[in-house]
Amino acid sequence: MPEKQDKKLEDILRLIELCRSVQSSSVDPFQVDIRDKLQTLKKHLPDWKLIDVMLMDSEALQQLVGIIKLQDQWIKHRASSLYIDPLLLELKIRLLSREDLANSFTKCWHPIAQVDQLTAKGLEKAFIYWRDLVPMSERFRNEFGSYGTVPGQMDFEELQSLNIFTKEQFETRLNKLNDELVQKAGDKEIDYRSFIEAETFEEKAVRAYLVAFIVTEGRANVRTDPLTEKIFISSIVGQAGPETKSVAIEVI
Amino acid sequence: MSTDDGERAALEKKMRKALQILILQRGRNPGVKGWEMKRHLGKDYKTILQVLSTDLKSLGMEVHEVPGIEGTDDSTRYLLRFRESPTLSESETAGFRIDDLAVLASSIALVNSKQGRIGRKELETFLREKFPRWRVDYSLDRFIKRGYLDQDDKGLLRIGWRTRAEVDEKSLMTIILSRETAQK
Repeated sequence: MPEKQDKKLEDILRLIELCRSVQSSSVDPFQVDIRDKLQTLKKHLPDWKLIDVMLMDSEALQQLVGIIKLQDQWIKHRASSLYIDPLLLELKIRLLSREDLANSFTKCWHPIAQVDQLTAKGLEKAFIYWRDLVPMSERFRNEFGSYGTVPGQMDFEELQSLNIFTKEQFETRLNKLNDELVQKAGDKEIDYRSFIEAETFEEKAVRAYLVAFIVTEGRANVRTDPLTEKIFISSIVGQAGPETKSVAIEVI
Repeated sequence: MSTDDGERAALEKKMRKALQILILQRGRNPGVKGWEMKRHLGKDYKTILQVLSTDLKSLGMEVHEVPGIEGTDDSTRYLLRFRESPTLSESETAGFRIDDLAVLASSIALVNSKQGRIGRKELETFLREKFPRWRVDYSLDRFIKRGYLDQDDKGLLRIGWRTRAEVDEKSLMTIILSRETAQK
């Protein structure tokens, strides 16, 4: 009997692995027989007693949903005029010379025209701004009084001393937020601003602060789309990539 | 000065302003968003940009519209780009070698034929049949950095924002397929 159970569990693990490999490659998503896989899950479901196995079952179901989404995108792309049989295209690229390929590209290329330089007007504006800028030591005196401090970096020790976090609370909240990210994002990217959103601004700032730690630890990735300026966050399972850089994101 | 002359002068002034806004790099990203155009040019900014685009035709340029992710007028990005495509030798003087452009053309076409995403390893393997290994690695990294291609943390490559703004992808696919191949 345990052997049978193992076989069923193996079916689920194999299904999860199959879905993951299809999602992380350009394999045709229709190669996964959704109906058959759902039947398998349905057949095994009454036998599951342990919560861990049930979670694995729901993970398999979630992966199948991901495949259905891919199938939807696949159909939409195929219906668009951008679809061309990849085999035909590969053959054509192999046969064309480098000059032909480069020529094909330049024929439909319209480079963006932009100048990156200072103007006299820009210099004048910068000078006026600099001249009228209140020194840092005086800038926030009206708002915060004499004990006010200028904006700057606050490290974890300082937050501990202000009783905003204890070490235990910090780590618990960090893990909780990371779990929330994994649950909300899964394998996908989600909107960063919606993710840090909270009922109060203070809570939102704390969430943004904690997210910065999660990203620094390599447990999540933040990406900005330069055209839309939208910021996305995704969870990283496994080891983080080698290319990292530090960015400042304004919390408004 | 008659009312017509006054209106014409106001329109021309706004067109000059629009050109200045479009041509000067503002921040890291190219182009200007709809809301910013509205702030500088008023609510008729679309008409002004249309007239400017028509006027720029004689200089071989155009105002190009890239719809934003929200699909609203405010999120639409306006870019100034060359109407005419550069020749191969002009592209070379801009710092692109023929091999670079060939790698980019093949990559864009292949990504599009594979439902908009392809594993980097799969693309590298394919390109290495035609180009040296170092050239493939160097060019792909360069095009990812410049925004022509986009790579996610799973190593999947997609079409980047710059390709969407600068390249007529449909024409590229058609031109590659319709090109006559050399007899071997």
